Amino acid sequence: MSVELTNYVTLSAVMFFIGVAGVIVRRNPLIVLMAIELMFNAANLALVAFSRAWVNNAGHIFVFLVVTVAAAEAAIGLAIVVAVFRRAKNVDLDEVAGMHG
Amino acid sequence: MTPQSIIPFGSSDWSAVVPMTIVALSALVVILADLTLPKHLRRPVVLGVAILALAIAGVVALGAWGHPVAAFGGAFVLGGFAIVFEEIVVVAAIFSLLLGSTLGREDQAGGAIALVLWSASGAMLMAGAANFMTIFLGLELLSLALYCLCGLSPRAGARESALKYLILSSTASGFLLYGMALIFGATGSVSLAAIAGPTISNALFDVGCGMFLIGLCFKLSLVPFHVWTPDVYEGAPLPVTAFMSVVTKAGTLAVLARFAYALAPLPQAHAILAPLWIVAAISMIVGNVAALAQTDIKRLLAYSGIAQLGYIVASMAGTSEQGLRYAIFYLGAYTFMNLGAFAVVALLSREREEGSRLATFAGLGYRQPVLAGAMTFFLLSLAGLPPTAGFTGKILILATDVNSGYAWLAVLLIVGTAISAYAYFKIVFAMYGRTTGAEIQRATKPASALPWVGVAICAVATLALGLYPILPSDIVPLVK
Repeated sequence: MSVELTNYVTLSAVMFFIGVAGVIVRRNPLIVLMAIELMFNAANLALVAFSRAWVNNAGHIFVFLVVTVAAAEAAIGLAIVVAVFRRAKNVDLDEVAGMHG
Repeated sequence: MTPQSIIPFGSSDWSAVVPMTIVALSALVVILADLTLPKHLRRPVVLGVAILALAIAGVVALGAWGHPVAAFGGAFVLGGFAIVFEEIVVVAAIFSLLLGSTLGREDQAGGAIALVLWSASGAMLMAGAANFMTIFLGLELLSLALYCLCGLSPRAGARESALKYLILSSTASGFLLYGMALIFGATGSVSLAAIAGPTISNALFDVGCGMFLIGLCFKLSLVPFHVWTPDVYEGAPLPVTAFMSVVTKAGTLAVLARFAYALAPLPQAHAILAPLWIVAAISMIVGNVAALAQTDIKRLLAYSGIAQLGYIVASMAGTSEQGLRYAIFYLGAYTFMNLGAFAVVALLSREREEGSRLATFAGLGYRQPVLAGAMTFFLLSLAGLPPTAGFTGKILILATDVNSGYAWLAVLLIVGTAISAYAYFKIVFAMYGRTTGAEIQRATKPASALPWVGVAICAVATLALGLYPILPSDIVPLVK
């Protein structure tokens, strides 16, 4: 039994929309950062699956880039959350000033 | 194994990335200098190194004019198009450093300036990026450095603005990346050149292009993806806001133009790009209407920027070569008039407080006539009145929109301009109108005189571009 390309793509689409929903619904910035990681990893899964289907290594290399960038993004994101917490003693997005995007 | 087979790139590949490598490496020099120099020398030396490196990068990039190079297997293309955008990024970064000579606490100066340099090198990478990997890398380099810069100010709200920018911008990056993955799935290539080729699935391709464009619209802060812009602009330190308002837009516009012009030959290109022009049209109106209500100059310039970006994207509506040249001209004009206005605000700023409240401008025409005159000139240009670059640029965009069959965009542009005039003239009235003695604030010495250099250069450039528009030929984006 083999796993079809469409299965991978469907899974990645589901992961992506869970990520989008997480960003919209959750108010804890740590969870929101996780949701963003989920969006990035959904794209990674799609890239790897397409890369295998096309027998083109470019997708694999792209994933390495994305993983590196996502790590940097998480590091900066957590640093900013800590900086906000130090000042506000609060990490709820609704109560952070002007946070209604 | 010969060296060639280990590193499959020749010297022409590396020469294409020399300008941005200079900028990125100078950031390391800046950090080292900041660590080793005695305290009183730090800031001037670091600032000097950064501005010198940017200037050298600008000159080196200009030296490549007329010799387009496709480097690294077509991942980075340095041609006329990329050079123009690199020059805009370099100029904007130098101006931001002039405004930002006091950026950050004393112990943060080196780091802040290094971040500006890294961010600029990311935008320079985007200027020449011709495949999805380089686009993503450039965009993230630009954005990651900016997230940190946004939180640098000691004022309340700076860190919140950084958090807000981080979350919303990363979400946009997620959309962009997923769009790239879908386009890769449809075409089997990460190269932008391949998107005009055959695809296995139109649905996959169309959805991918849509998500890619959503990501770009967010970074360009076009309506309805603009809600973050005023808050982030207001919260970030002034020099960072000035930098963000030009450099992120220039880098993203380069990617957008390259994408749109690579896509143009496709039969479904019209349908894929149509929402983009509608978004540009909405931005022109909504940006200017929202600007009416603002009493903070940074917020006002944020909404004004949304509208100005709408004009620039509208110029590309016909995906004609002429439209692109006019779009780039208007971006150049926007760079100078916008940075000029920010430089005036920087000169009105004090140690503890930025001079961005409308009240700061009350009676400025009597206290500092030269500064008020310069601000009036920049505002006239933003509103699009002669004899300024903004006026010439708008006439050119109107012409190209009418020529390419997008007369409705031209009409909306005129409507938007008419609305914007009121928003800008509110500041002019505040500067020259009657004021009671209590409202006039005492003139105090600005923190640094360097922004004066920025005001002078921006004023001359805005006037010169208005009277003698430079429209470089040979700037159609190459994707091969």
